[in-house]
Amino acid sequence: MVYSRYLLKRLIYALMVLFIIITFNFIIFRLIPGDATKMIIDPKFTSEAKAELKREFGLHEPTHVQYIKYVGNMIKFDLGISFSTGRFVINELKERLPNTMVLFLTSFVLTVVIGISIGVYTASKQGTFSDGFVTGAGLFTYAVPAFWIQLLLLMLFGYYIPILPVHGTISAPQPYGLFLQILDRVHHLILPAGSNVIVGFGSWALYTRNTMLEALDQDYIVTAKAKGLKENIILRHHALRSVLPPIITLVFGALPGVVSGAVITETIFSWHGVGKYLTDAIMMQDYPAAQGAFYLIALAVVVCNFAADIIYGFVDPRIRIGEGGKE
Amino acid sequence: MRSKKFFLPIAICLILAVTYGTVTAGQAESEPYGPQINQIIMPIIKDLDAQLIAFMRGDIDVYPGLSRPSDLDTVKKNPNAEITMNYGFHMFYLCYNMRRDPLEADVFRQAVAHVIDRDNIIQTLFEGYMLPLSAFLPPSSSYYKDDVPSFPYDPEKAKKLLDEAGYTIDSATGIRIDPETGEPLRKITILTPTYEMAASSAELGKIIAEACQGINLPVEPEPMDFPVMVDKIDLREFDMYVLAWELNRLPTPLYHFFHSSEDFEAGYNNPGIRDPELDKVLEELYYAPNVEVAKKAADKAQVILAEKQPYTVLYSRPYMDVFRKDRVTGYVPMHGYGAANYNNNWTTLNIRPSEGTGGTIRWLLPEEPKVLNPCTASTAYEWEVLGRLYDGLMAVHPETMEDIPWMAKGWEIGTWEPEPGKTGTVITWYLEEGIKWQDTTAFTSKDIKFTIEYLRDNKVPNYIAMVEDVVKVETPNDYTAKVYFSTESYWHLYGADANFLPEWIWKDVKDYKTFEPWLEAHPEVPGLTKLVGHGPFILDQYKVGEYVRLKKNPIYWKLP
Repeated sequence: MVYSRYLLKRLIYALMVLFIIITFNFIIFRLIPGDATKMIIDPKFTSEAKAELKREFGLHEPTHVQYIKYVGNMIKFDLGISFSTGRFVINELKERLPNTMVLFLTSFVLTVVIGISIGVYTASKQGTFSDGFVTGAGLFTYAVPAFWIQLLLLMLFGYYIPILPVHGTISAPQPYGLFLQILDRVHHLILPAGSNVIVGFGSWALYTRNTMLEALDQDYIVTAKAKGLKENIILRHHALRSVLPPIITLVFGALPGVVSGAVITETIFSWHGVGKYLTDAIMMQDYPAAQGAFYLIALAVVVCNFAADIIYGFVDPRIRIGEGGKE
Repeated sequence: MRSKKFFLPIAICLILAVTYGTVTAGQAESEPYGPQINQIIMPIIKDLDAQLIAFMRGDIDVYPGLSRPSDLDTVKKNPNAEITMNYGFHMFYLCYNMRRDPLEADVFRQAVAHVIDRDNIIQTLFEGYMLPLSAFLPPSSSYYKDDVPSFPYDPEKAKKLLDEAGYTIDSATGIRIDPETGEPLRKITILTPTYEMAASSAELGKIIAEACQGINLPVEPEPMDFPVMVDKIDLREFDMYVLAWELNRLPTPLYHFFHSSEDFEAGYNNPGIRDPELDKVLEELYYAPNVEVAKKAADKAQVILAEKQPYTVLYSRPYMDVFRKDRVTGYVPMHGYGAANYNNNWTTLNIRPSEGTGGTIRWLLPEEPKVLNPCTASTAYEWEVLGRLYDGLMAVHPETMEDIPWMAKGWEIGTWEPEPGKTGTVITWYLEEGIKWQDTTAFTSKDIKFTIEYLRDNKVPNYIAMVEDVVKVETPNDYTAKVYFSTESYWHLYGADANFLPEWIWKDVKDYKTFEPWLEAHPEVPGLTKLVGHGPFILDQYKVGEYVRLKKNPIYWKLP
């Protein structure tokens, strides 16, 4: 009962947050300096053509009417028509979302697994050469700009050792046959996903290492050692387990990237994704496109946070059972 | 003031390079037949570094529109690369707000023009890869006039002009005194985009401001976000700004940019020049009944503008296109459009593998062609694809830039009386016979009638200025179309040469804006989409975000 009340409360919070984000999404683009209608209305157009275009995009109506219609449309997932292309925003996002998801999920899973593994390993080897080396490498890749590393990799594996494709998600033209097409996609994924892993693993490794080191100082670890448990078991079953909740928080916090994408990676590797779409839309003052992309991202953030709340309920008995101790 | 003779060695070298590019690629044969290849694959590569790598490692054969000097240096090291350089229609300029004091004074603007060292700017900011320009039309236009008054780099002359006009220097502040008020001049700003947005433009504003300060003018650069800058320009809240235009081969932009009727909020006449003599000449130009009158008026307008300096034109970016000469040949460098632009249909027709004909050419597309609908497509990237699917009634001669017959074997420009006492233009097109749409339907004068009426009746914004004056279109037979305009102007010739639409597909389109012809299958011909043209290539495949594949139109009317 306590848990369902907790979930209901979190759901109401999530919906409120979503509503506030939708509202800000509407306001913020109208506060950006510059007249967005110039993106669609060329001064050489006749006054009739100008009026027609304004009517078509609903820009002729008062702001509050535009807002009410906008909220209604967002609820129906009608994201409108892009100013710059005249196409339905939802269709444009649908074209890009699978690419962003593939790149993000591949990079994310690899980054998290490699980063956490390295963090655990270096924590267990504190003060050794390998600890210093891995920590240094992690700090380096974390500190330098991502685009610099990605451009270096592009030059290295695209030009000097030209074994990897430098753009896109598939070859032009695409090979025939499903197996070859899958191989082709994987081939194109190596460089962008690999570079994301190199850029991203450091922060996960360092965070895990530091939290693990704190955990390894705790009394229960001393007890485990005194019981004669193997180091491997102490690390995985005792220390790592105790640091997992904050790591889960981080994982869920980063998950919305699955729809927002990685702008720099998408740009450098000509990856047709949502991140580049969003930045282009902002640069072009394309309200409907930017609002649509932000709405999608906001939705992902809210859903992920809600999912995290649900999982906390499982991992933290205080939430599931309540302070009174009754489930 | 003297005739312009200030193109210094860099400019001379670049101009020679432009000419050289035209000559060395002379293996190109501008035959009016083609295409010579079976397909074009256009990989979409957006990042500039990735584009360069793709070319250097052989992923692409045609690398159009090289823009970074460093890339050009890299490409030059590749023995298989051939670079063609041609004048374009680009024009970078400094605009003065002539509504404001002291910028309304001719002598003030002329003095500023005298302190701008174009050659130094080009060398400093662009490593020499730009062409100095002071004319109001680009040299690639057949209306370009060379011998107009100019204001070459000469700071001493600038000082003298100001001194003689009474702009003496205030000993206390070191700033020149406004002869009208007797007070030191107010701070004058040059709007530029920010360094993050356009570093070279921002730096250019700074260089010009410093040059003005050198003759005691209180000029400061003011970088700002681009949308804000555009707003300020539209609202006329500026002193000076730097920006670029991409013009075309016609002189009509002169009317829009400098006629007093265009001086309204967000109108094209940004400097706010209102000169009755210029207005008269521009009207003669805009409503010219024939090319001779147009030429004469364009000449006069350029002389007046050169003297008045509502803009100080600074430089022009040439087209720099690169080809893998070990793999392809037959490309045709062309003034105005370069060798690889979609407007250059001579390259489209003549490019071929180094040995023989047929095969595939890999042609870089630097951005996504988001919309392949000829009514709504607006970016150059979209027309890089669409331009190869359609032909025009006229073509542009690759050397003289003059109109030559194409799908129309001839045309006449006449007049008629739309209402008593009024003169209108009537254009009569005589079409070639045997031209077919890509789905084998014959191309006739009825297609011209349908398209012009469709664009006019639907008020399609991209075309409305061209067709709004059309009163009626008559088709006396399948190969003759007469287009009647309510006003008299030679330029209606271009308004009647739209991108034609096949009636049997477009007549049922309810909303042309959301119609996606490239995504819908052709109702009768397997393998075709509803994006049906009559040009040398057919859209075969568009993998969004990845590539576009065009294949040879097997029934093209100009097949060799």
